[in-house]
Amino acid sequence: MSEPLLDVVDLHVGFRIFEGYLSVLNGVQLSVGVGERVGLVGETGCGKTTTVKSILRVLPMPPAKVTDGQILYRGQDVLRMRRRRVQALRRHELSAIFQDPLQSLNPVFTIGTQLRDIVKDSAIGQGRRLPRRVIEARCIEALRETGMPDPERIMTNYPIQLSGGMRQRVCIAQALSTHAKLLLADEPTTNLDVTIQDQILRKLDELVDEHGSSVVMITHSMGVVRDLTQRANTMYAGSIVETGETKQLLEGPKHPYTQGLMASVPKLTGEGISEGIPGRIPNYLDPPPGCRFHPRCVHRMEACSAELPSLFEIGGGHRAACYLYGGEA
Amino acid sequence: MREQLREDLLASLRQKRRGFTKGWYKFSRNPLSVIGLVVLVSIVLAAILAPYITPYPEHAKPYTNFQDSGKPPSLTHFFGTDRVGRDIFSRVIFGYRFSLTIGIVVLSLGVAPGVILGLIAGYHQGTWIDTVIMRITDIFLAVPPLVLALAITAMLTPNLMNQMMAIALVWWPWYSRLVFALASSLRSEYFVREAELTGASKLHIMFREILPNCLAPVMTKMTLDMGIVILLGATLSFIGLGVQPPKPGLGTMVAEGAKRLPGEWWGTIFPALAIVVVILAFNLVGDGLRDVFAVEEV
Amino acid sequence: MTAKQILMIENLVKHFPTKRGVVRAVDDISLHVSSGDTVGLVGESGSGKTTTAQCVVGIYPPTSGQISFDGSPIDVAFSRRSKELKGKIRIVFQDPGSSLNPKRTIKQILSVPLKVHGIGTPKERLSLMSHLLETVELPPGEYLYKHPQSIGGGEKQMVAIARALATNPRFVVLDEPTSALDVSVQGKIINLLMRLGDELDLTYLFITHDLSLMRNVATRVAIMYLGKLCEVARTEEFFRSPKHPYTRMLLSSIPVVTRQEESLKPEKIVSKGEIPSPVDVPPGCSFHLRCPERKGICSEADPETRAMDDGRLVRCHLYEHGAAKAGG
Repeated sequence: MSEPLLDVVDLHVGFRIFEGYLSVLNGVQLSVGVGERVGLVGETGCGKTTTVKSILRVLPMPPAKVTDGQILYRGQDVLRMRRRRVQALRRHELSAIFQDPLQSLNPVFTIGTQLRDIVKDSAIGQGRRLPRRVIEARCIEALRETGMPDPERIMTNYPIQLSGGMRQRVCIAQALSTHAKLLLADEPTTNLDVTIQDQILRKLDELVDEHGSSVVMITHSMGVVRDLTQRANTMYAGSIVETGETKQLLEGPKHPYTQGLMASVPKLTGEGISEGIPGRIPNYLDPPPGCRFHPRCVHRMEACSAELPSLFEIGGGHRAACYLYGGEA
Repeated sequence: MREQLREDLLASLRQKRRGFTKGWYKFSRNPLSVIGLVVLVSIVLAAILAPYITPYPEHAKPYTNFQDSGKPPSLTHFFGTDRVGRDIFSRVIFGYRFSLTIGIVVLSLGVAPGVILGLIAGYHQGTWIDTVIMRITDIFLAVPPLVLALAITAMLTPNLMNQMMAIALVWWPWYSRLVFALASSLRSEYFVREAELTGASKLHIMFREILPNCLAPVMTKMTLDMGIVILLGATLSFIGLGVQPPKPGLGTMVAEGAKRLPGEWWGTIFPALAIVVVILAFNLVGDGLRDVFAVEEV
Repeated sequence: MTAKQILMIENLVKHFPTKRGVVRAVDDISLHVSSGDTVGLVGESGSGKTTTAQCVVGIYPPTSGQISFDGSPIDVAFSRRSKELKGKIRIVFQDPGSSLNPKRTIKQILSVPLKVHGIGTPKERLSLMSHLLETVELPPGEYLYKHPQSIGGGEKQMVAIARALATNPRFVVLDEPTSALDVSVQGKIINLLMRLGDELDLTYLFITHDLSLMRNVATRVAIMYLGKLCEVARTEEFFRSPKHPYTRMLLSSIPVVTRQEESLKPEKIVSKGEIPSPVDVPPGCSFHLRCPERKGICSEADPETRAMDDGRLVRCHLYEHGAAKAGG
């Protein structure tokens, strides 16, 4: 693998609340190469969004607290950077698309105002002041790229005047207008209808190709990961439990959690619905020791409750954090 | 059956206690709210125990001692004395009795009807019931509360009871507005839909399903309003339409002291400060309550 | 169609007048549901699937058209329906977070339908409620006194199902019961629903946007687009050869997870265009703006619903003349 653009190393993040200490991220390992597209799959409450927020350094601290680990962006630790440096990073290198475009767009400004600000500030950050004409042209170009019909008119619209799919296109335009090197997409199509999701994902795919950005695609949908990414990671209760090439991972899931998840997805083959995975995601106040999946796991062994398994190599970069595939010896 | 009932009660008590400790945790996150609460509790205790803790309890009653008239603040008279020689500190503490009474009585008279009317109107949003109730509410709201209270008090004999009645009469519409807004949005929640489709009665839906979900904001507003009601009471007393001298109303005292400004400043400043402190305390506590009831994000 | 038809929807229309114009939420649909069936009513946002369900349970009275249940008309709002009918037709809502009152315990929540419908004496009700929780596989001792916010999403939905079953219904409308839940939890809820459906002889109208789920659950599938039905067919036939271009677009847009599934999808139809607003429905066939097989007539005339040889109903100009014509 080439030099990673982003390397999250053993990240531990927790929250202090009334009931005690929520230990949410429990040693997240995630690396993204230059131009690589990585999927991060997991269910509600597994820590996907906390991971993204940590990378962007937008977690509210307190109550959040990073207790261990590093987030290396081009070899520099984001967690230890000065505030100004992080801001510069967010301005030029990182971009994010969130699930709910209505929350990420300001309702009282037109799309044009919001896009222009981003393009302008991004240029100012690089020490250049762009003429208005250029800013305008770039905004319209960015909107047109996302397949938006009639971008000139959209520029004068307010967010509520657009449909959900349109809004998400605007967010994509915003995210890509600064030519970010790394795009963090947190469930960008979860609220959209399938036919619209299809369009948006296809467009995102094309644009990312053109810009050569790296992407972390955070989603709960295995299907989206399959369509869009080269490498996939499954996340459970605050750690990555399996990682590998998307094809390998989906066709031959190794970790019992990934296996359970794959079996739970309703399929067009009509083989019936699996019972799902028994139990539910652990309470982060008092997570089970060792592998956090062990209370729900059918292959549970003694070692599982003793220590958290590291990611064991299975072959071809496919690794799973499970004692079925190594450890002990 | 009896065992079951017992268990029922215990379970709900456990839940309540847990809720309470958790609420206190959230409240205590904001040091200002805690300060507000401490001040408030001290004021309430002081007001209740006024005859035992004030240095000159008899000064709250008709009393004159012209020898001590107009003394500046000192160790014997913390806040000084007024023109007839009464200890202002003692009178301020007694004054809180009137202020707190006004707050409590006005809110207990005004809130219940306001809440019930708002609930009925909110659940029937868009029908004639809503129109009738809310237009009447609007009429009351359209008149500035001070003016309305003034008008009512002026018509009646100026005393504490009438003053409280007048303020209560201008206060209920705020609660029907608040509850109306809450109820009309809760009305479209699925749990209300479900109860309707099951065939539950309107009374059940309004009082069992919707009302419990409105109480938190109502309580917060009540706390914040206590301060404002006290201020309004003091204002009416200030212009002579409330607590009558020689009774020590805080507003009355400010008015009396004002006649002797700027020389004997303590006669006005201390009662005025007392008003500020109690209002501030209620507001800080109200803010804290808002934090307690806020929906958790994490 | 030998089984008894329990629910008949005939020419149902539901319009909502608004300031911006009339929202044609449901525009003339007819759908029959046989006893014991699970009919999947599938559509995207704005398709009118939820409004249809809401007319069935009586949240709104229809603008026009008939709905009959067990042979008797029920096309009125809930306030004019008999208690008995309210007990027979029940609904499970999409978001269990909002369908359970956060201020009430599960015991209080479950007691409402029992009290309202006078089921059991006050003394018996506790054991009835325990029994209901057992039916949905929740241990009663642990759950009766909890508040909804202290249990998981899947468990909340199980409580909602228990509440729906409290009145011994015959027909249950499932309004996207699992769309707010994770897949690993969805399986349990769906299997529970299917088992209960068999054991208690329930008929389901399953509202969803998830075609893959319907493949595994429904006996018949109906596709809605902008207030109209596009295609209605038995599940196997429906997925074997989808006919309506919209159905094919929908199917080919689903992200799937295995190669085997990929082979079952119709040839890739590139999805394009936005779903028009139901206030401003295009003339002619409402789908023609996005349709890859658009013809001249599509923008002029709304196609008629045609029955094909296999009992499938399709509403598209491609199939106007004679039943069998190449498609899919």
